[in-house]
Amino acid sequence: MAKKLYIFGIGGTGSRVLKAFTMLLASGCKLKNDFDTVIPIIIDPDTSNGDLNRTKDILRLYQEIRNQIQQPDDFYKQEIKTINELANNSSGINPEYFQFKLEGVEQSTFGQYIGFDSQSDDFKNSKDDKNFIRLLYSDSNLKSDLNVGFKGNPNMGSIVLNQFTDSGNFKKFAQTFNDGDAVFIINSIFGGTGAAGFPLLLKNLRGNHQLPNHAKIKSSQIGGITYLPYFALNRQAEVNSGSFEEKAKIALDYYNRTIIGKNQINTLYFVGNKGNTKHFEYSVGGKEQKNDAHFLELAGALAILDFTKNIDKTTNTTQIKEFGIENTTENISFNDLNIENNKEISSPLTKFKLYTEYLKKGLPISLNVSRWTKSNIKLVKESKNSILDENYFNSSEYKIQIEAFNNHFEDWLKEMGENKPAFNPYNIVDWDNALNLLKGNEPKGNKTFKVLDIENCKLIDDISIKSSIEKKHTTLIKLFGKSTENVLKKRNLLIR
Amino acid sequence: MDFISNIFAPIYETWFQLSNNQFSLIFDTLFKDDGYIMFGLSFIIIPLISWLLFYYVWKYPYGKLWHWLVWLLITFIFVVGLTYGIANNEIFVSDNQALIDALADSESGYEQFAKTLPLKYALINGILTIGISFIYSLILKQFSKIQIHLPF
Repeated sequence: MAKKLYIFGIGGTGSRVLKAFTMLLASGCKLKNDFDTVIPIIIDPDTSNGDLNRTKDILRLYQEIRNQIQQPDDFYKQEIKTINELANNSSGINPEYFQFKLEGVEQSTFGQYIGFDSQSDDFKNSKDDKNFIRLLYSDSNLKSDLNVGFKGNPNMGSIVLNQFTDSGNFKKFAQTFNDGDAVFIINSIFGGTGAAGFPLLLKNLRGNHQLPNHAKIKSSQIGGITYLPYFALNRQAEVNSGSFEEKAKIALDYYNRTIIGKNQINTLYFVGNKGNTKHFEYSVGGKEQKNDAHFLELAGALAILDFTKNIDKTTNTTQIKEFGIENTTENISFNDLNIENNKEISSPLTKFKLYTEYLKKGLPISLNVSRWTKSNIKLVKESKNSILDENYFNSSEYKIQIEAFNNHFEDWLKEMGENKPAFNPYNIVDWDNALNLLKGNEPKGNKTFKVLDIENCKLIDDISIKSSIEKKHTTLIKLFGKSTENVLKKRNLLIR
Repeated sequence: MDFISNIFAPIYETWFQLSNNQFSLIFDTLFKDDGYIMFGLSFIIIPLISWLLFYYVWKYPYGKLWHWLVWLLITFIFVVGLTYGIANNEIFVSDNQALIDALADSESGYEQFAKTLPLKYALINGILTIGISFIYSLILKQFSKIQIHLPF
């Protein structure tokens, strides 16, 4: 039975993990146990957040590309949908539906949002009283602009986020929920939005009787990943990374009592990093908050894969899992991951990396020269001509979809490679040493992109990579799914 | 073998009009010693092997028209050279005593005429090679994975 996985990404960390997860799906990682559709839902009041908008853009591109592939079987196999597409049974792509919008937070301070500004200062003669509120919130809390989130204050977040469960979007989520569907929640424990949003969301999933399909949601499998501090900021101000650890401990204690102790969640993953973290550029939120991708976000994506893989092994008692790597190193490569994780992601990522590198550095040499890029071959059957010709590679669909997504993929890997600890499994390659891609694994024989061109020439006639209907990217994506597999497999560069 | 010789001999003797009754000993020798068969097989088999290599063994995905032309030139040179050698051998190292005597007789004109023949046979085979190469290319490219786009 086809099942859906709803992934709630809360706050900036949620967006970044969803980005990492989308990259894994694009490279061909698949959810196990018949989960055929992923529904990412981002909960973040900070609508101009750089991380959020980058993730929404990546999700949009993923959908646009996937919609142009007939029955994808490798790259982009997993289907991603918005709640709106599911509820309305439509296929119109609108990345705004990946985000649950919070009402009343735009152009408003926290004080305005909770009605503080309209309350009386006269505690003797008035029914309401500003002074009581002042016991709970500082002046800077009350004057805080909600446009940029909660600046690491979960006491604010828990008030504002309480509304989203009453929103139309949340009801749509519940309406589309079916037997066998599951939920996964991503949050960070040391910030504001994630720390507050996670228990609130879980409470509603397990106990909100007003929701449609409440019984199904309540008894569904729910997993989550909670991020312990894993980065620091280069300046301490409104958001103070020095307090991350203290806040994490307090929140952990709360989670332990209210979530873990009461078995509200089936599996809870913890991941964090201490000591060798990189200091990110300080930002309280908004478009400046565009933190570099981090290996731990990839670890979070692995947790999602693990959750669906082991979903039939969960019990009613909360299972706690921690992420770890095999070797203590600041330069993580595939061999530093445990065997299971290594098997899961190294082959798909390496294939996708070779494909993106090829399109950037190999294609200029073969375009309109290699037969797999030629559509004007004379005196042969029409089917022998390739649709991946100059027109295709110059088309707006190729440029604004394929190239744009591949650029995000390259940026993502590059950022992880420059972060601390660095995830750096690939060498910088050019045409001559393209297959010398994987660090510590130099293949024998020809290492140039020529071998991929040869493979593409052999496969371009293959009927299984052709689209019977107008789906523009079918041939490109299926061709490279097969050719990168064949080339890397022959050189023992794929770990299975 | 005469049957095969009967197929090839007219190509050179009739089509390209190399036959000359005044020097019939040469042509009879070539016919009887299977020289025409060797000429014929040279322009049929050598280009076939050459183009099989080009279309099915040579794994070069960036082939352009000039690659095809260079391959054709190499095949041409090979066939021309081989044919020249065969013709030279068949005429001047023949077992036919009558031809040997005729060639030795400087007044017969045989030697002068015979000396022009190897190059003529070679060039004829070269021309035939170009034609048959084109036909082979059109056939073999249909099933080629890498060079299907050549010559065009």
